[in-house]
Amino acid sequence: MPRAALANRPPPGRRVTTSRYAFILAGGAGTRLCLLSERRAKPAVPFGGKYRIIDFTLSNCVNSGIFDVGVLTQYRPTSLNRHIGSGRPWDLDRTRGGIQILQPSLGAVNSDWYQGTADAIYRNLVHLRRRRVEQLLVLSGDHVYTMDYNELYEFHAASRALVTVAVTEVPESMTNQFGILTADASGRVIGFEEKPQLARSRLASMGVYLFDRDALIRWLMEDAERPGSSHDFGKDLLPVLVQRGEAVYAHHFRSYWQDVGTLDSYYDSNRALLSERPPIDLASHEWVIHTQSADRPPVRFENGSSIENSLIANGCRVGGQVTGSVLFPGVTVPRGAVVRDSIIMHETILGRGAVVDRAIVDKEVEIGEGAHVGAGDASTPNRACPQHLSSGLCVVGKGAHLPDGITIGRNARIGAYVTGAYFTSDVPAGGVVDGPESMH
Amino acid sequence: MFGGTVVEAMALVLSGGGGERLSVLSAERAVSAVPFGGKYRIVDFVLSNCCHSGIEQVGLVTQHVPTSLHDHVGAGRPWDLDRKSRGLLILQPYQTRGQSGWYRGTADAIAQNWDAIEERRPERVIVLSGDHVYRMNYRALLQTHRDQRAELTLAVTRVAPDDSRRFGMVTIDRDGRLLNLIEKPERASTPYASMGIYVFEFEVLGELLRPRPVDLVLDVLRPMLQSGARAYVHEFSGYWEDVGTIGAYYRSSMELLAPDPRLVLHDSRWPILTRDEERPPVRVAASAAIDDSLVANGCRVAGTVRRSILFPGVTVEHGARIEDSVVMADSRIGRDARVERSILDKQVAVGASARIGTGEAPADPALEWLEGITLVGKDASIPDQTCIGRASVIGIGARPGDFASREIAPGTRTPNHSWFRELV
Repeated sequence: MPRAALANRPPPGRRVTTSRYAFILAGGAGTRLCLLSERRAKPAVPFGGKYRIIDFTLSNCVNSGIFDVGVLTQYRPTSLNRHIGSGRPWDLDRTRGGIQILQPSLGAVNSDWYQGTADAIYRNLVHLRRRRVEQLLVLSGDHVYTMDYNELYEFHAASRALVTVAVTEVPESMTNQFGILTADASGRVIGFEEKPQLARSRLASMGVYLFDRDALIRWLMEDAERPGSSHDFGKDLLPVLVQRGEAVYAHHFRSYWQDVGTLDSYYDSNRALLSERPPIDLASHEWVIHTQSADRPPVRFENGSSIENSLIANGCRVGGQVTGSVLFPGVTVPRGAVVRDSIIMHETILGRGAVVDRAIVDKEVEIGEGAHVGAGDASTPNRACPQHLSSGLCVVGKGAHLPDGITIGRNARIGAYVTGAYFTSDVPAGGVVDGPESMH
Repeated sequence: MFGGTVVEAMALVLSGGGGERLSVLSAERAVSAVPFGGKYRIVDFVLSNCCHSGIEQVGLVTQHVPTSLHDHVGAGRPWDLDRKSRGLLILQPYQTRGQSGWYRGTADAIAQNWDAIEERRPERVIVLSGDHVYRMNYRALLQTHRDQRAELTLAVTRVAPDDSRRFGMVTIDRDGRLLNLIEKPERASTPYASMGIYVFEFEVLGELLRPRPVDLVLDVLRPMLQSGARAYVHEFSGYWEDVGTIGAYYRSSMELLAPDPRLVLHDSRWPILTRDEERPPVRVAASAAIDDSLVANGCRVAGTVRRSILFPGVTVEHGARIEDSVVMADSRIGRDARVERSILDKQVAVGASARIGTGEAPADPALEWLEGITLVGKDASIPDQTCIGRASVIGIGARPGDFASREIAPGTRTPNHSWFRELV
């Protein structure tokens, strides 16, 4: 038995009680989400009309009975920290356990920025010292799904795995974006390729891992010493383990799972909530998605409003026309304004006669009277980021002020906090208006 | 003394009332706990006023079926009243070796809890009613009280002459000194109505409660005026409503739907704080039509909603139509059903093609208090295709057996049922 395990054995005669602990990786920059994650970590990106992306993972934890969670942050954590607060909405404000923000730090042995996902856990192993856990759950704060992690624990125990990787089936066209696993009939992983050009399977790693604690510590120590490693679970650690024939198992998760990594997938997965049978039942009483709620009055539907097929959160005022859209708390759509097939975040205000069509509009944006966001045809991709913005979506950054009467073509990108002075004319399709440099 | 600050005022929120005042809405909960405004409870307004006025000591006086109220208020978290010291104190009736302690009246309720109030050592006591809907900064009230060096300050508001029979009317002199208070006069010589909000000097009130008075107005305030105590008024000019009757409740609710309602729920500097419901955003289907309405998170609307208030989790199925009504949490309006000028409590199920509030209200003086409004008690189930005539009162937990036919005549009253009767 490894020494670490011996040291943690409870004193003889005492009942062995083990608890559960999860690390949530929430430090990613989410570069493909463009403006949405420019000034906030991806897990803090608003989603689904009132949530943040990390709410799904945090709710999965507490709904699965895990009330001891460490959240690893690195990239622009302010928004995320404010959202999590003391962890109250998830009942994670506890005397024992609860939620702890684990940011990169200086001062301890080996302390530095987190280099990769494996490195981030390695630098936080100290948090396992006093916890009586046999397994360690490693999660990502970037994904939208509802999963009972107890299934993972049961599968892990039944297959005597040292690490169980949750996998989901992805379309063949997308296998090159994920870590792809091949498993035998028992679920034992016999092949692992990170983002392969030609995949042998369609089972993608969800970035959800259940590790045997001592094995994890051993492997992380090895990986830290391995020259050339980028210290990432998917790129470095798992391929080595599979190659060595370690007990790596894949647990097939068959429900909805979405890595809202790109603007298009962000848009599509928000809009999927509007369908007749949405992939996630946000109204479920059995699996509540907990979040920080603002104190806002009910939605106010004014005379003459026309709303179809939309999600509208408390605090909104709607006097105009809203179809196929998601409105976060406090959005104002006055009489004569039109919102079509769009995602509009908190406190954004449309002027009279303004039209927003196929756009993602961040928080606290002001859209002037008669302004038109998303006009014309979609054939011109964005000038600055054609690979992320070419399907006809417009993106407007937080706090932008769009002047009265302006027309903004499709695939345009309007930076955060722009004001009227930033616009010399209408913005053509694929156009870019950069906002002021962020102060930090 | 805590943290170096003197506790200036402790609020006592009188929330003991219930019973028949709001009919089926308050039969099994205190009036203060009746839902209001699409997501709130009536008591939220007073507790939010306390919170925004910097009053950190609140005693909640409860008596009539307080479970729902206690459940809602909890430890007082939404109003920042969950403190290590100070914070929320529930003052319920209790027994001692000598006596049973049901509250005989407002003054008695305070007197019985005087020990607990004294422990908190406030300089003043503000007596509030948990049944009123308004936004008021009590700092201004306390300022008036201090400026006048008053022993008692009464908050008053101007009302129309016709309304004087609903209120205690107050006469004052030019300096704002309180001269007299007449309960519910037919005609009043003064526009000032008492809001039932009193600031007492702590020591003064303590003395006055010694002889164990019953009623705060009759047995405390009147004798104070007679003995020439320094009693003043503080005029409040904002929106204020006692929603303790069905008519007032309904009208105040409907007033929230005006383009610029007098009671502002949207003010981010003075949010009405309440317990979080944890519901997803409102889901509006393609077939929906919603006008002039307040609709809370968790609702699913596929039908038509006009001039109505829907609390969290209400489902309006395809073809259903709700007009001029208040529908409380988790009620379900079935396909092609119709609800007019009604108040539906929580968890009511309206069957397909059922109609609620149809026809003319009967000209019966005994039904005047309903003002033509139809009430449906909590957890009632209205069978498919059943028509409930206007000004009917459908009891709590009504089941198909309570409906003799598919046509329930206007003005019908069905009994309340205990939820557990079906278990035996």
